[in-house]
Amino acid sequence: MTEALLGFGAVFLLAVLRLPLAFAMGLTGFVGLGLLRGWAPTMANAAQVVYDTGFAYTLSVVPLFILMGNFVARAGLAHELFRAAFAFIGHVRGGLAHATVIACAGFGAICGSSIATAATMSKVAYPPMKRLGYADYLSTGVIAAGGTLGIMIPPSTIMVIYGIVTETNIGKLFAAGVLPGLMCAAMLMAGVAWMCWRDPSAGPAGERSSWAERWRALRDIWGVALLVVVVLGGIYGGVFTATEGAGIGASGAFFFALARRALTWRVLYEVLVESARTTAMLFTILIAAMLFSSFVNFTTMPADLKEWILHQGLSPVMVVGAMMLIYVLLGTIMEELSMVLLTIPVFFPIVTGLGFDPVWFGVLIVLVVQIGLISPPVGMNLFVLNALLKDVTLKQIFRGVWLFVAALVVALAIVLEVQPIAMWLPSFMK
Amino acid sequence: MRKLLATLCGLVAATALFAIMVLTLVDVSGRKFVDTSLPGALELTELLMVAVIFAAMPLVSLAGEHVVFDSLDALMPPWLRRLQQALLDGVCAVLLLGMAWLMWVKGGQMLEYGDTTAQLKLTLGPFVYLMSVLLTVTAVVHLMLMVHPEPHHHAGVGDAPGAGGGAT
Repeated sequence: MTEALLGFGAVFLLAVLRLPLAFAMGLTGFVGLGLLRGWAPTMANAAQVVYDTGFAYTLSVVPLFILMGNFVARAGLAHELFRAAFAFIGHVRGGLAHATVIACAGFGAICGSSIATAATMSKVAYPPMKRLGYADYLSTGVIAAGGTLGIMIPPSTIMVIYGIVTETNIGKLFAAGVLPGLMCAAMLMAGVAWMCWRDPSAGPAGERSSWAERWRALRDIWGVALLVVVVLGGIYGGVFTATEGAGIGASGAFFFALARRALTWRVLYEVLVESARTTAMLFTILIAAMLFSSFVNFTTMPADLKEWILHQGLSPVMVVGAMMLIYVLLGTIMEELSMVLLTIPVFFPIVTGLGFDPVWFGVLIVLVVQIGLISPPVGMNLFVLNALLKDVTLKQIFRGVWLFVAALVVALAIVLEVQPIAMWLPSFMK
Repeated sequence: MRKLLATLCGLVAATALFAIMVLTLVDVSGRKFVDTSLPGALELTELLMVAVIFAAMPLVSLAGEHVVFDSLDALMPPWLRRLQQALLDGVCAVLLLGMAWLMWVKGGQMLEYGDTTAQLKLTLGPFVYLMSVLLTVTAVVHLMLMVHPEPHHHAGVGDAPGAGGGAT
């Protein structure tokens, strides 16, 4: 127990000294295991971890889904999604903000990144909201929060990472994210309605579209729909694995971008390199997390903690609820991916020991990451919007996002209490 | 020098990633529609993954895209930040060189045992050496940054879109 606590302390200390988290985790894991187990086996283990992570067919799912999202972002499909959503709901009060949530959900079905979704939507949805006189706190809040739907609605990079480190079926995780994702979208729309009710001038109604316009707008999104049906439908129906689906999805998105003349050689190169960089960054931290967890697993901490908690006679849901509280608090100041990777070796055995399904816990993890991404003071989505929208202050963005943070916390509580919301769809999978 | 390195690594990573995409598409559609799989597609993907990940690592370091805890930056005077960053780049370089050495040893062992891929019988040793070499290149990038820092912007306030974009 003491060794593991020292290890966690070392990681935090090194991180505060600004060593990249991957290096902090890797170094601590290596030294910790070396001291406990001897240096020769530790060196062999480290080399093996790097080797196994490098040569892993199933892990090609990571760059392929990232690539798919980046192609789709460049292809400009987000505009059509927003227009279609607007055609149906733009005429109600706060209609553009509602349309933003729906478009984010749609975009989330082809993109596995919250930050990319928020960044893309800021270009698509912010200008029309500005033109119609929406308050900045509402428009930026809803884009930041809507962006997080990108990781709950499959595909989802964070689900893939969780699936890899916990050896949970990625296809099932994806299926489990669908209903909670739709629920989150509904919660965010409720948040928009509430804000517009409190301050009607914040989100005026747009023009009503005719049915002809609506059908035309729907027709324009057939490409997105096709991609979603083939990739997610294929994975859900067992036609192909998540890795194969990712390859098909990336290829499909590539052909769309090509057909829409969004690709020059230059853009293609940029998209590929950007995706490879994100992949390398993720794998660095993934390798480090594995080194760190092989150290933590060698200590008695996971077993001790599990024993202790199981003997407290707490209700299992309360234990998980306490973990979620820790995550939500940590998420306000920590980068979310490293928060998850750092805590998984300790929390995961407890959760499975209590008899919970790893798939359900995965959905909860995604929800706390969503919350962490938009909860001030440290929330990546907020920073990205601040960087992209030069004339909006971070203060305005912070002001508008709190209500959406609250909405997602309610969603978290619901998924925690009502497990079938996550587990119903995966229950039909083999 | 930096430009050349970035272009070279970028080309390798980009080509490998595109190849993985095409390979998966051809392999899957072959299996689903004409009932013939591409022999060794799986193994080739694995080898290409090595190129994607490890060739892009120098680029991640060059762009300063590793996740860091930067909340204390504002509290430090610029000269101390500069010194700190140089020290940290030094530490990163040492760690990467250590890892490169471990992989070199492993590559040697695999070569000695004559390890090959299962289907295509490709010798694995050289690919492990490649990992080692690219880790060394990444270490060199950190050493270069130590001497001539880029105006780093790590993921955080004022960040450009897409930086670390796909992660969360």
